[in-house]
Amino acid sequence: MNRLRNTRRSLFLVPALALLTAFVIYPVVNTVYLSFVSSEGAFNFPGNYINVLSSRDIVDLRGFTRGFPFGALIHNLIWIGIHLPLTTFLGLFLAVVLRNVKGSTFIKSTIFLGMVIPMIVGGVLLRFMFDKDAGILNAFLGAVGLTTKSWTAYPDTALLALIFGSVWLWTGFSMVLYSAGLGTIPKEVYEAARVDGATPWRMFFKITIPLLRPITIVVITMTVLWELKIFDIVYVATAGGPGRASNVLALQMYQYAFRSRIFGFNEAAVVSTLLMLITLGVAVPMIVSIVRKERR
Amino acid sequence: MRRILVALLALGLVGIVGSAQTLTVLGPWASGGEMELFIPVLEAAEAELGIDIEYQTYRAEDLAPVLTAQFAAGQAPGDVIFMWPWFVADNATHALDLTALINPAQFSGGALDPVTVDGHIYGAAYTAKVKPGFWYRKSFFEANNLSVPTTWEEFNQLLDDIAGIDGVVAPIAAGDGVGWPLSDLAEHILVAFGGPQLHKELTSCACISCGNWKSVFRAIIVDWFVYWIEMGYFGEPTEWTQAVQLWWDGDYPLYFMGSWITGMDPVTDKTDIGVFPIPGTQGFVQAVDYAFVPAYTEYPDEAQALIQYLATAGQEIQIAQGGHLATYSLIDTSLYPPESKAAGDILVGKVVLTDLDDGIGGDFQTTFWDQLKLLLVAPERADEVIDTIIEAYDAECGCE
Repeated sequence: MNRLRNTRRSLFLVPALALLTAFVIYPVVNTVYLSFVSSEGAFNFPGNYINVLSSRDIVDLRGFTRGFPFGALIHNLIWIGIHLPLTTFLGLFLAVVLRNVKGSTFIKSTIFLGMVIPMIVGGVLLRFMFDKDAGILNAFLGAVGLTTKSWTAYPDTALLALIFGSVWLWTGFSMVLYSAGLGTIPKEVYEAARVDGATPWRMFFKITIPLLRPITIVVITMTVLWELKIFDIVYVATAGGPGRASNVLALQMYQYAFRSRIFGFNEAAVVSTLLMLITLGVAVPMIVSIVRKERR
Repeated sequence: MRRILVALLALGLVGIVGSAQTLTVLGPWASGGEMELFIPVLEAAEAELGIDIEYQTYRAEDLAPVLTAQFAAGQAPGDVIFMWPWFVADNATHALDLTALINPAQFSGGALDPVTVDGHIYGAAYTAKVKPGFWYRKSFFEANNLSVPTTWEEFNQLLDDIAGIDGVVAPIAAGDGVGWPLSDLAEHILVAFGGPQLHKELTSCACISCGNWKSVFRAIIVDWFVYWIEMGYFGEPTEWTQAVQLWWDGDYPLYFMGSWITGMDPVTDKTDIGVFPIPGTQGFVQAVDYAFVPAYTEYPDEAQALIQYLATAGQEIQIAQGGHLATYSLIDTSLYPPESKAAGDILVGKVVLTDLDDGIGGDFQTTFWDQLKLLLVAPERADEVIDTIIEAYDAECGCE
């Protein structure tokens, strides 16, 4: 009887499994397969990987002597290195500062608008925001007597402009998560600390941050995943230029798949597989951490 | 209940029978002038052919991945699609053969070559835009006692004179964005100093016959393009449609652009604009718009009729509005407005050339565009830029 019941229950999983197989498992397996074969279908490992990883589009060591570009892979790492701490810290800072402020709901909603905007639109906004003649940034810089230029048009500033611009787009995400997390910390903990003579700074570092650790793990993981697959902002704002100075892996994958005659779907599959492996390297520890916590 | 069912069935039948065939045309022209000039052509086609037509704006760069994926699934997002000629040729197996519909003898010389594969024509040539030179406002020149240069010395003196005028940011607007405005200018410089034959052979990937083209190419770019950049004659890279407004407002009195500029919104007085090339230029790039009918269209007969119309009678309607030149030789040339005639007159006695990056395509096109954007802001990296462009050209054309 139990067996029959279990079988019936399992049948309800079939539609979901079928969709998962068709739209997730099969594409992933096929992509990995494509990365191992040539365009004629012959086994070509590690040929495809060597072709891609030795391409200056992916890693350009000349950048360390002459400046940008450094290659799409390094650009993604730079993006993570700058964008992640900034958005994480800013999100936490804003969540704490706006915690008990009148009108905080409205302010938080305004900040969160960056997340609501489609990234394609965000890219267009960034392109014009950093424009020398039309950009708001240059209007401000010019007003205080600083140099103005089209920041996304120069190799040394294109990627950095996109990174700092995207901080505005993504900070709302970390702010909202931290706001929710702050609401779960019992007030009694802070009261007890106050009674013991703890200063606000001490409470922040010894109570708030440790208790927000699960939120921080989620924020960091989701932010890194977003930074790895960044495409639309770069495509619209700079198309990866000038001179590949703002190129990223996802955009390079697109170039290989749809614009290149020399490289093709196989090389695009290599980039996709590499992205997947890096993503797993980030996501798996988070999942393990959550599972361990649930088991406790 | 029965009556309701019968009524619903009747409505459904009316819907099926009453619905007209609607062809979808995909083109790169967006609102702001260009689309408004193309719509009358489609309206005339609707009236002539008795079909409904829907137009959708789709840039070629965005259409490339869409078409690649849809062709693999045996589908197409439109019935008549405007696309790069190299893409049409590369995807000839996914396009209808138009050889029986289009007579190459009725089109300007070589217009259909880029879309002809093994003697079969897979695309139709629509109108062309010529890239004749530097557009300027006559009123600005008159107000500042400037004149159109006829010699190389006068050209350089003109740039110097303009640079010294109050209110001018820089003599030449640098249209940016995707990168093709800069590549158009680079090609003009290449033709001016290297000659039309060099450009022609480069476009046809005839790398062997060019001889030592690489050193010639390098010398031209360094000695002239880089020289002008370092002299400060170019403005800050600006999105190209925004640059049109700045040009019209006088921030940048000269703008190297195609003849379509005459139909764009900021140009409110077409009698006030003129154009001149680098003196002595013997050839001009003509960018032809090409369209094809995907093999997966639901309406092959109607789509072929439409594309034939666009390639022939449709061109008359387009050119009469300005900014375009006909590739169809049987049109009434008196329909050209004065500003288009001026651009067309520049071509008289000169060699008409195919756009270099549109003709070769692939990695070369994206690299050419991208590297020129770098050259404009970092001329000190000219050697690296030129090496990268040459490398991409060699790889694309299969040169050693």
